[in-house]
Amino acid sequence: MRKTITKFRWFWAWQDETEEHWLGEMSKKGFHLLSVGIPGIYTFSVAEPKEYVYRLDFQNFTRKDKQEYMQIFQDAGWEHIGQISAWQYFRKEVGKGTETEIFTDIPSRIAKYRRALVFMGLMFVLLSIILSERILSANPYTWWDVIKIIYLLIIAFIMFSIIKLVLRIRRLRQL
Amino acid sequence: MTSQASIEKYLPLTEATYYIMLALVEPLHGYGVMQKVEEISGGAVKIGPGTLYGAFTLLEKEGLIIKTKEEDRRKSYTLTSKGKSVLLSQIRRLGTMSRNGLAVLSRLI
Repeated sequence: MRKTITKFRWFWAWQDETEEHWLGEMSKKGFHLLSVGIPGIYTFSVAEPKEYVYRLDFQNFTRKDKQEYMQIFQDAGWEHIGQISAWQYFRKEVGKGTETEIFTDIPSRIAKYRRALVFMGLMFVLLSIILSERILSANPYTWWDVIKIIYLLIIAFIMFSIIKLVLRIRRLRQL
Repeated sequence: MTSQASIEKYLPLTEATYYIMLALVEPLHGYGVMQKVEEISGGAVKIGPGTLYGAFTLLEKEGLIIKTKEEDRRKSYTLTSKGKSVLLSQIRRLGTMSRNGLAVLSRLI
């Protein structure tokens, strides 16, 4: 039977590079990312240590576009492991002269953060609408305040992410 | 009918977009473009799959390239006439810039 371990870790939208680095370090210790899906939960297979480079993209698409997208990455030697939200996880084994970047210029890296920003913006609008409706409606449950706090926390998290992403884009623009 | 202004708005192209469009004078699929760009630039320009996919999406949306073929999961693209006009303007512009640069070159070295 294949040996696996599960790790719990929070991942912020603007920390994709930290995430990539962490996964690479895990592989060096012999823990290779096996699957992702539910935010915060990572499954690793336990095997010999290997030099892998992990890269993340942010893409939302229809199934048909996805096939073309996956094929381009596959042809370039990237293995798709899975996605968390719209974050696509890729990896490649590092050898001599291996191309280790999926984005080879600044404009395309900025475009990636922009896609994440648009997504966060939509989430923010959507949740705000739901929240205002919920707050205005009559209190149907006894644990109402708890739900309200959770909602507000989620919205605060999203707002924080939006600000951080804007700052990330601005820093890249200055390069 | 493409006016000069509608072409100029795409200029200057980024280095990656410029090379991708150069490669697409003939129909090519994604990985084909990556190989072609490396070849025509003598290995100086390399395009990652994320950058390439983003460029394909944008160029197709702007009508500068068009899908020509779909084989398995690989799609081939080539330049549209508008795309050709944009690329031509960019090449002319680079030519001017290069000539202007060469004119002062002797004073730099």
